[in-house]
Amino acid sequence: MTDAATFPLDAPADWQPLPPRARSLFMLGHAASGLVLAGPALAFAFSTHWVSPLVAPVVAGILGAVLGAWIGAKRFRSTAWRLDDEGFAFRRGRLFFKETRVPASRVQHLDLRHGPLERRWKLATLVIHTAGSKMSAVSVTGLDADDAERLRDRLARQLDADDAL
Amino acid sequence: MTPSEPVGPDAGPQADPVPATSPAPNDRRLHPWSWLFVLLQQLRQFIVPLIAAFFVGGDRNELWPLIGVAVLTLSSVMQYLTYRYAIGRDAITIRSGWLHRQRREIPFARIHNVSVDQTVLHRLFGVAEVRLESAGGQKPEAQMRVLRMDDALALERLVRHRGAVEATVEGVAEPAPDVLLEMPLGEVLRLGIISNRGVLVLATAYAASMQFSPRLVGGLFEHWSRVVFGWTSEHHFGPMQYGLAAVTLALAVLALMRLLSIVLAVLQYAGFRLTEDQQRLTVERGLLGRARSSVSRRRLQAWTLHEGLLHRLLKRRSLHVDTAASVSQGNGQQRRALRELAPIATPDACDALIEHLLPPDANWSGLDWLPMHPSSALRIFLGGAWFPLVVTAALCWQFGAYGLLALLWLPWSAYLAHHHAKCARYAINDRIVAVRGGWWSRHWRFAELDKLQALRLSCGPLDRRWGMATLWLDTAGATPGGTPLRIPHLPEAEARELLDRLARILAARKLRW
Repeated sequence: MTDAATFPLDAPADWQPLPPRARSLFMLGHAASGLVLAGPALAFAFSTHWVSPLVAPVVAGILGAVLGAWIGAKRFRSTAWRLDDEGFAFRRGRLFFKETRVPASRVQHLDLRHGPLERRWKLATLVIHTAGSKMSAVSVTGLDADDAERLRDRLARQLDADDAL
Repeated sequence: MTPSEPVGPDAGPQADPVPATSPAPNDRRLHPWSWLFVLLQQLRQFIVPLIAAFFVGGDRNELWPLIGVAVLTLSSVMQYLTYRYAIGRDAITIRSGWLHRQRREIPFARIHNVSVDQTVLHRLFGVAEVRLESAGGQKPEAQMRVLRMDDALALERLVRHRGAVEATVEGVAEPAPDVLLEMPLGEVLRLGIISNRGVLVLATAYAASMQFSPRLVGGLFEHWSRVVFGWTSEHHFGPMQYGLAAVTLALAVLALMRLLSIVLAVLQYAGFRLTEDQQRLTVERGLLGRARSSVSRRRLQAWTLHEGLLHRLLKRRSLHVDTAASVSQGNGQQRRALRELAPIATPDACDALIEHLLPPDANWSGLDWLPMHPSSALRIFLGGAWFPLVVTAALCWQFGAYGLLALLWLPWSAYLAHHHAKCARYAINDRIVAVRGGWWSRHWRFAELDKLQALRLSCGPLDRRWGMATLWLDTAGATPGGTPLRIPHLPEAEARELLDRLARILAARKLRW
């Protein structure tokens, strides 16, 4: 696993990390998807009779959840966003690194979502819609609720300015 | 059939806002026969249950299908009676529905694509089906089934002028549109040879035959064997003869497929004509049924120039373009939005068309094509190497050591990767960005910088090993399964620089679509 040195943060102050509260959200969310491993384990146990169908899914589920939580924590650490004059930027992942840029002039509309857990931790998910096809909705989970609102207002203001012309 | 363009006043290329005459909301109806076409459309959806009810119903009441048809007819007539449209100064208003009423305003400025389609039946009645499509969405904004042909063309012209011209006013004849591309019969036949539409028909026929009589294909094979070897040796077919029969049958099927493709190409593309009239492109095509769709030149999003193996043998290429409205894919009607600028044309004709339609400073033929990362061949090879390995493992598990033969696939894929990496190029200037890819089957994908919507840089574990990154450029209206606009395997520093540069350019330019 490489560290941040591989991707020189081209202005460290610019990239905003997610608030520490979001860490639990990431871990929980990824752990939940890790539980899915229990399904194949059950099928495996039934088809081979090597392990008891009672034990296999439980063990696989726990392993999956732990693995998921670990990945979630890593992904939380590698996620960052940036808003500047050019628009919104969002990066995620170390092993599979992705950086998405949505220029402010290309924002179509914005959604702000608060799930039950997010509300509890004062977090929000911002979805930025563009007219594109593959990246028509760029969604950022685990933002601080106030940050998300500020982001939405900033990007929406740009939208109004464009339409007025 | 050449469209007898009904005459109308010339509004000039930039439809200037006319003084507010605020026409009275004069409601119009569809063609009086329109209920018949709505009924036929609905019958097509219910035809299977209806036939099933008719034949399988047996001892039960045979009137059920008739009642069904009667209900559908009634609903079609009601639909005709309640559907009104009115053309305002800058929008078209459509009111429809009886119990559940709907009123929809479609501003002319929001309409991206207008299509006027005629089947054979439509032509007998002298009517056409009109669809107005805006960006995005799965369904057209308005679907008028059906209008009189001249009304349909008038409506199309109205949208072209953004409603500045009253459709009914007869005036000065419009200047004849410039013909950008025409396909004579020879070209249509070439298109048929290249295209694989026949496969679809045969596949559908095969699926249908399995549905209705599963033994048909086996029976066909037996019958073919008899035809080939005569009736005498009917009972003594050796493996040799079966093999021969299989090979000849395969050849016959291939020939049939080509023939079907050619027939379909003639049916769909005969009389293909791409015209340009006041910044608006119109494509007309079809032998029996005519399809006509038009789109404003500035609505074109990303372009694809394609040259497959057969294309190259016949010295032709094909040119497609995405429009924001072309995402809408109705059941089997996905081709209605203007997509094919040149179904088939010589490379020179394609280049001329691109030069003509892109902004003058795009400099398509003078692009400076840059190579990818020097190790991109290795990256492409390793990125795809897992598949032969998995296949080998699976085969070894099944058949033992013989499965190792599948490893022979690896040198071949290395050879392919080498050529793909050698052919891949990209080019960028102040106006457009273009990517070239493929080796046997080549493609060029390009878009104006103004039409880019979002950017993404991605970098996986393999990329990191050699310091590469891939740049994804997103445009509107790209088909999900189509060639993406992406610059693969760039040196990472170059990719970052390009990402920053593009982000800066996009932020400075307003979205125009």
